[in-house]
Amino acid sequence: MGDKSSGAKKVSRRKFLVRGGLGTIGVLAIGTYIFRNAIRREILGTVNSLEMPYTDNTDQPMVWFEVTSENNIVLHSPKMEMGQGTFTGIAQMAADELSVSMQQIQVVHAASSTGNVDSFATGGSTSISGLWQPLRELSAMLRMMLLKEASQKLNIDVTQLQIDDGVISGTGKSLTYAQVAEGVKNWEVPDTPKLKSLKEYKYVGKPIARVDLDAKVFGDPIFGMDAQMPDMLYGAIVRPTKIGSIFVSADIATAENMPGVIKIVVEEDFVGVVAKSMLEAENAKNAINVTWDSYKDLNTEAITKIITVGNGKSTIIQKNGDSLNEEGDLVRLEFRTPIGAHAQIEPNGVVASVDGDSAIVKISTQVVGITRKEVAKRLGLDTDKVNIIPTYLGGGFGRRLHTPHAVQAAVMSKAVGKPVKYFFSRKEEFQHDMFRPPTHHVIKGELNTDGLLHGLEHEFVSGDVGNNSALIPNFLPPIIGADVGAIRGGFIQYSGIPNFRAVYWHVDLPFATSWWRSLGLLANTFAMESFMDEMALKANKNAVEFRLQQIADDAIGVRLKNVIKAAAEKANYSEEITNGRAMGFAASIDANTPCAQVAEVSIIDNEIIVHKVTVSLDPGLAVNPDQIRAQCEGCVIMGMSAVLYEQMFVEDGELTPTIYGPYQMALMKNAPKEIDVVLLQGKDTPGAVGEPPLGPIGAAIANAVRRLTGERLTELPLKLSKLTL
Amino acid sequence: MKIRPVYFFLLLAVVGVVLVFANTPTISNYKTYDNQGIAQQNPDESYEKMMDVLTHQRCMNCHPNDNIPKQGDDRHPHYFGMARGDDDNGFEATSCNTCHQSINNTNSGVPGAPHWSLAPASMGWEGLSRAQIAERLLDKNTNGNRSHDELVKHMTEDDLVLWAWEPGIDADGNQRTIPPVSKKEFKEAVENWFANGAIIPNK
Amino acid sequence: MEISLTINGMLKTVDVGDENTPLLWIVRDLLNLKGTKFGCGKAACGACTLLVDDEAVRSCSYPVKFVEGKKVTTIEGLGDRENPHPVQQAWIEEIVPQCGYCQPGFMMATAALLNKVPNPTDEDIDNNIINVCRCGTYYRMRKAIHRAAKLQAEINTNETKEI
Repeated sequence: MGDKSSGAKKVSRRKFLVRGGLGTIGVLAIGTYIFRNAIRREILGTVNSLEMPYTDNTDQPMVWFEVTSENNIVLHSPKMEMGQGTFTGIAQMAADELSVSMQQIQVVHAASSTGNVDSFATGGSTSISGLWQPLRELSAMLRMMLLKEASQKLNIDVTQLQIDDGVISGTGKSLTYAQVAEGVKNWEVPDTPKLKSLKEYKYVGKPIARVDLDAKVFGDPIFGMDAQMPDMLYGAIVRPTKIGSIFVSADIATAENMPGVIKIVVEEDFVGVVAKSMLEAENAKNAINVTWDSYKDLNTEAITKIITVGNGKSTIIQKNGDSLNEEGDLVRLEFRTPIGAHAQIEPNGVVASVDGDSAIVKISTQVVGITRKEVAKRLGLDTDKVNIIPTYLGGGFGRRLHTPHAVQAAVMSKAVGKPVKYFFSRKEEFQHDMFRPPTHHVIKGELNTDGLLHGLEHEFVSGDVGNNSALIPNFLPPIIGADVGAIRGGFIQYSGIPNFRAVYWHVDLPFATSWWRSLGLLANTFAMESFMDEMALKANKNAVEFRLQQIADDAIGVRLKNVIKAAAEKANYSEEITNGRAMGFAASIDANTPCAQVAEVSIIDNEIIVHKVTVSLDPGLAVNPDQIRAQCEGCVIMGMSAVLYEQMFVEDGELTPTIYGPYQMALMKNAPKEIDVVLLQGKDTPGAVGEPPLGPIGAAIANAVRRLTGERLTELPLKLSKLTL
Repeated sequence: MKIRPVYFFLLLAVVGVVLVFANTPTISNYKTYDNQGIAQQNPDESYEKMMDVLTHQRCMNCHPNDNIPKQGDDRHPHYFGMARGDDDNGFEATSCNTCHQSINNTNSGVPGAPHWSLAPASMGWEGLSRAQIAERLLDKNTNGNRSHDELVKHMTEDDLVLWAWEPGIDADGNQRTIPPVSKKEFKEAVENWFANGAIIPNK
Repeated sequence: MEISLTINGMLKTVDVGDENTPLLWIVRDLLNLKGTKFGCGKAACGACTLLVDDEAVRSCSYPVKFVEGKKVTTIEGLGDRENPHPVQQAWIEEIVPQCGYCQPGFMMATAALLNKVPNPTDEDIDNNIINVCRCGTYYRMRKAIHRAAKLQAEINTNETKEI
């Protein structure tokens, strides 16, 4: 697979306009993005390696910047900050092209009223890479506009002017950006100027501290859960505990007369309570007797049966050479991964205020545009009458790509004529999550006489990831035949193998599944890289050498080889067991970012202990190396948590458990004491960071356990069998 | 044979309650048991009743033998790695009382009672036979240097012991199960067994 | 019901309604201190951890009636931008937070730990810091906790000298 990102992007010509208000500069940006018009497999190959370019609206004025009278720049970000350091990265990019200091940039979430609404979402590890070109261009254009205006005001030729931290000066005279912008009605809008060279950047490429660090260390009220409005009431929504429940009717007589209750809102699709306090709303909710029509007798075994290769509809997503010789000496292994919960610590929450023909919604969402559209549609309003005010996200991970609670809060607010705050209980979060789907993989491989793979085949099955989500147009899945999310990481990256095939099977599950950080990557890489390790053992080859020998020398192949070599070298990869510790190796490519990891593992008191993880990542140009390291550390730990501990069950038709603890997750004591990160730069633009390091960790741990115990663990969460113990 | 002792027991119970109310018990006047006439109930039966309670998960979960408190009817290890610590009350900064207060919490489902903590390690009963539990209970070296009278008082009056019958709701809002013997019966069984010399059957 | 407490150094009397209301909601909604977070409401995640008389408490499971006459410290009272607590200073120096939502709870638990164990070992940290972080910032947190212990020791040494 080649590096196909460059051809997929056409950066726009952008225009500026001025909005009202002293010193406020608005920007009209016209963006175009042309999807590759290619045959199905070509598209699918692109999906796996593509760095999604930034896609914005094309027809509305968008506020990107404000110049304040204190000579600071407010940057309205269409991308949400959900922990990945996006605000810091874009502040660095803007500061450098605007020639201001980091302290002069204040990044805020763009309210939808600014027009600066992302037509896609915050997710897919696309924020920095997608904004790299357009945001720098916009910043450079603003700088040029200010420079030209200053040139007129100072009566000095542009070439004689210089800029330093937002102050334009020349021949002894100077004006701040704020002074330049003051009172200007007609701006001269230049063509997109030439961007600065990387060498000229003061901030891009440096490990700048997060711009939201203080707010997060001193407890500022920045999250959706912290949002409030005057005279706000509290809402609660009756949610079923059984999978597939459909609302039939509700007995609200008792609840209506309970303390603090303002109104019980009965809609066709939900029942809500509005009360003076959250606890009063909860109590009344618990007193409502709802009749549900629901599925029966579902359990984990039934789900496992559905998730089995051969069920559903298949699509060949990758093919090279011939099919495997089923009569030959094949190694065949099956792998399984469970249902995973997002379990982000901030529950989904929202405050909505509907007043006459307009609505204001404060919410932590990854999909400002979709949230706005859905609220407007339900209330029968024009989208421009709905202002979505996004907040910081207390974890995204894909959980906030779906925000029906915004609609529900808006409906409740309209019913009582006051702002209503609503948020999920933890049990509701667990039961009404849109889960990471369970998967099943059948992998077959055949070695040639040189001990290399002659053929490799990956067949896997999953529930929805991208399909049936508001982000993927309904027409798309039938055209491409596969779920663009589920297939992430399902491709064969060992392009040197002469014959290979990847086949995706799609099944429908009785409960909602969707995007979970890195999508199919976690499960697919666990299966594929565990299999590769088993084949290396069979071939009696060093696991690193075995991989390196089977990767073609195309652009991405070279980058993959480099991260594999770097991780092995940094970790001193060895297949000896030392002091009871073994190393496990794995590598993956996600969204055009290759990553390799070495996990150092031992077994203590029958538990798998991960002592050290070495990560090698090639994210391309590192805008903020420290935050890329933080993402690597975080992905390793979140990935460890998923592969060692996490698992949802279905019992008596209910998704369970519903609380942390029973839903076991990695704690401080489980996190590796050492995480060593090596960053490589295999291309000259920024690439995906927030998800790719989740790929290798599962297989890296399982491969270490294999070397310690001789046992090949094929199911997540990884558990030592009684045999081993 | 099967019905009679029950009536007899009920009668004794009434007498017992009257006596208890008549003499507000203190450690010193507990010595008068054998004068109270309760001793006539079969002490072996009392022993088994008492043990039905002591071996129930509501009691046993906080009498572990591995320094790890247990939770739930399935007696799983306490989540998040909580353990005994140096003073039976968890770790230095994250102790039992970081989450457990002196009352059950109906909002969170976290149980609570005064001095919520683990029984001392010497009183670890988990996995022991009834006779072994009784031995530990009676041995001053393992029971916190308690006399029989003090044991009776502890077992029949301590809020944390009696919490077993008012264990509140769990995180899911469901009532926790209670021991198979009522609180009243348990108290009487304890008093009777001790009044009869606290003899471990079959020994 | 009226409750008097010292919140972040200030004596306050508040009408709390139901005396069994979790302290968390009194702090967040009545006292409008949003730094203490709601994560699970079941004392499982630790996002609501604050200090009552310098002891770590999970405020979602702590009836407000028990704070009568006591001292409550939240993240807002631990330190501020001008005068950060050593734990906050260490968190800044190690650039710990990602999404940031669980961080106040972790910092409060760490402050409580350093009160009891000024120089915690890794094992002390593993035992006492059992909150949940989804972003996986544990690795930097551990470094920050060790750094905070050093910063606190330096402050204590300087204070001793001044005396």
